[in-house]
Amino acid sequence: MIPKSSILLIEDEENIRSFIATTLKNQNYKIITASSGTEGLHLSASLCPDLVLLDLGLPDMDGMTVIKKLREWNSTPIIVISARSHEQEKAKALDGGADDYITKPFGTVELLARIRTSLRHSSQLNAGIHSNAPVYRHGDLTVDFEKHLVTLSGAMVHLTQIEFKLLGLLARNSGKVLTYSYIMEKIWGPYVDNNNQILRVNMANIRRKIEKNPAAPEHVFTEIGIGYRMAESE
Amino acid sequence: MKKNSLLKNILITLIMTIAATLAAFWFFRHVPENPANIALVYITGLVLTARFTTGYVYGLLASLVGVICVNFLFTYPYFALNFTLTGYPITFLFMLIISLSISTMTSQIKRQGEILVEREKLLMEAEKEKMRANLLRSISHDLRTPLTGIIGNSSAYIDNCDTLDEKEKLDLVSHIRDDSNWLLNMVENLLSVTRINESSMKIATSLESVEEVAAEAIRRLQKRMPEAVIHVQVPEEYLLIPMDAMLIEQVIINLLENAIIHSESTLPVELTVTDNGNHVTFQVTDYGIGIAPQRLKTIFDGSPYTPSSSSDVYKGMGIGLSICKTIITAHNGSISAYNREHGCVFTFTLPKENAKT
Repeated sequence: MIPKSSILLIEDEENIRSFIATTLKNQNYKIITASSGTEGLHLSASLCPDLVLLDLGLPDMDGMTVIKKLREWNSTPIIVISARSHEQEKAKALDGGADDYITKPFGTVELLARIRTSLRHSSQLNAGIHSNAPVYRHGDLTVDFEKHLVTLSGAMVHLTQIEFKLLGLLARNSGKVLTYSYIMEKIWGPYVDNNNQILRVNMANIRRKIEKNPAAPEHVFTEIGIGYRMAESE
Repeated sequence: MKKNSLLKNILITLIMTIAATLAAFWFFRHVPENPANIALVYITGLVLTARFTTGYVYGLLASLVGVICVNFLFTYPYFALNFTLTGYPITFLFMLIISLSISTMTSQIKRQGEILVEREKLLMEAEKEKMRANLLRSISHDLRTPLTGIIGNSSAYIDNCDTLDEKEKLDLVSHIRDDSNWLLNMVENLLSVTRINESSMKIATSLESVEEVAAEAIRRLQKRMPEAVIHVQVPEEYLLIPMDAMLIEQVIINLLENAIIHSESTLPVELTVTDNGNHVTFQVTDYGIGIAPQRLKTIFDGSPYTPSSSSDVYKGMGIGLSICKTIITAHNGSISAYNREHGCVFTFTLPKENAKT
């Protein structure tokens, strides 16, 4: 069997490194490990992996620095591994160029899903396609980007202009977390102020239109303090 | 601060003396046949002065002023001092004695009050210390049990690697996973407490959407307990409440997990959020066996509960509930538990406005 994709894992903790490596090898990924930021940057330059898994707490340099250095010369997707309760750190990493994050401790299912999503997005980007399918589909919800149409169990959902733009943006990046500031900039332009209240109110309205129960969402999930993530298109 | 209180004392003394003099004039004008009233008015003034100022000085001062005023203004010859009138020196002496004793008494009462407050503070400190010691004791107890399991199971695996069959191996490893998950939950609870400022018991709040917090709490819990069925209901309108979302999530998770594990029922648990005007109420309801009445009183105290029969002590979650209480108290909310006909209900409230301190 030909290995699927190569993944560079930068993590200083040996136990975690070995468990992730074992899991990924079993899934037929080619895995390269590095135990420090310097080694990781070096390996990334020489081996050009398809994806980087980066632990934010490295002994020799700040995880943010690694992201910045990696982003100076390539656009390899980066998934950040971080401890819980550091929302600001996560949001900073995402706004600094990371593609997604996963919180310690995580299960293998979650990790593999994140890796698949990131690889898919990057391959689409490389092939120059903005979104491979003209329609997003998840459960009873569809978003038709060309026709500007959202349906729920076949019935049309009436969204305002802003609401459609918002849902469309999330649907195009389905499976990926989008930070508040990223969404704000994409929808309201670069000069919008930091207050994300307007975004959250719009999301609450969307939730009432597309979710059966706003407290048990099936399509759009909130990552509190960070942003929103839409369920992956089927 | 010191200057302020000095100013305040002088002001009180002045106002009282002037008020007494004005009242005395009124009596002098309208009921001149009973001069005793005038002395009584001054005594009232000086009692009030002694009551509301700190120290003896102001009371004495007020009595002195009173004595002189009575002599100067209200006894013949008017507007002149004359201490030789028959009987008057005795009146003045008594006035002095009254004022002195009242000043002494009020300052004593005040001092006693201060001592009482001080003692209360010490008692509270001791109580806090006791709670901390209790918490530490139950934590170490609660941590040791799963750790023993993890060490034991993994050693058994390594030592008997060649002789164990697949099923036995799987059993050992799943025990390790269960115990670690339990430990993780514990550690997350303890970590959440560190977000509360130790000395002021205050937290950094931001406006968070109730439905988003509830949804995330349930999602996090279901990651750990995929088989759990939770019915959730939130108000129709979009509610923003000042809170530390991480902490409130932790409270919801603890209550839901408790309901799922301890109700001994497979019926779904319910999480209901209602808007009650100036506060929001979160309610976790289960349809299980309820809580023993003698346990209900101390359920949020964090004291380790040792059921006489069960061997499954360490899953008691005693700490989880005491942490819930700490978190909700820091939010200026309230938390309570009661039994229903079938099962029990835990509710907590959060105020909509940050209490101004």
